[in-house]
Amino acid sequence: MNSKRRHEGYLLVDHRFSPGIAPELAAAVGMPANAGTGLFEAPTYTCSHCQRVVVLNPNRLRPREYCAKCNHYICDGCAKLKAVTGECRTFKQIIEETQEAASRAT
Amino acid sequence: MAKRSASHKTLTPTATADTTDLVDSTYPFAIQGASASQKTNIFEVELGGQAGASTPTIMVLARDSQLATGSLTKDATLNDAALSAPTAALAAPPTIFNKAATLKPRRDTALTLLNLSFNAFGGIVRWLAAQGEEISVVGNTASLGEASLSAFTGGTPGLLGAHMIFETE
Repeated sequence: MNSKRRHEGYLLVDHRFSPGIAPELAAAVGMPANAGTGLFEAPTYTCSHCQRVVVLNPNRLRPREYCAKCNHYICDGCAKLKAVTGECRTFKQIIEETQEAASRAT
Repeated sequence: MAKRSASHKTLTPTATADTTDLVDSTYPFAIQGASASQKTNIFEVELGGQAGASTPTIMVLARDSQLATGSLTKDATLNDAALSAPTAALAAPPTIFNKAATLKPRRDTALTLLNLSFNAFGGIVRWLAAQGEEISVVGNTASLGEASLSAFTGGTPGLLGAHMIFETE
């Protein structure tokens, strides 16, 4: 049986021997606020619609955005777009379309 | 094709805003597809701090809205090497570079894929993709055909080394 955890990548931010970065800076660049000090390890996922890598914030309370059409977690930006258009256009589709257009042009 | 590693031994990147020319030798590396249908997967990116003082560094892997043109070359400290010794070279491999003779790469505002912020004074940051979840560079036109690792504005970039593992299909 497949688990969505099979999609998870891995992020290591190791500041055990470093002053690290301020929580404000970490939050400003989209990382969990505690990612900037000590040892931070977190799973990530790659949005299937745009390939943006999302760090799974263990403190997140809101549900993660999920696309049932492609059976994959998606980023908040793509979830917002999908809520408007209802369209699931995966990055794999974009790749195939790009490659097909290139092969037709030759 | 087998996996390869793009590795920059040591460099102090320059913080550069989105949609602004990435000046030669101020970013670790960029990768550009060799043909309209070529696809390259990025499996791993790692940055290791080498600075001698605290330097919060905002590094991002992003697609480029303007692709580099002209002769694309590398610093002497930037290498592109196969991970496995018997790897056969592709006839048209993707180009790893951090110097462009004509147009410079420009980071796309909306297509930042991975944020690897860290303190280059002793910090280490590493991202690994799950199988099938890699970041892809497709074709050789904007904005899918080129990705760059560079410093964004807001920090004080410090000396670092970086590598990226990739494979062309």
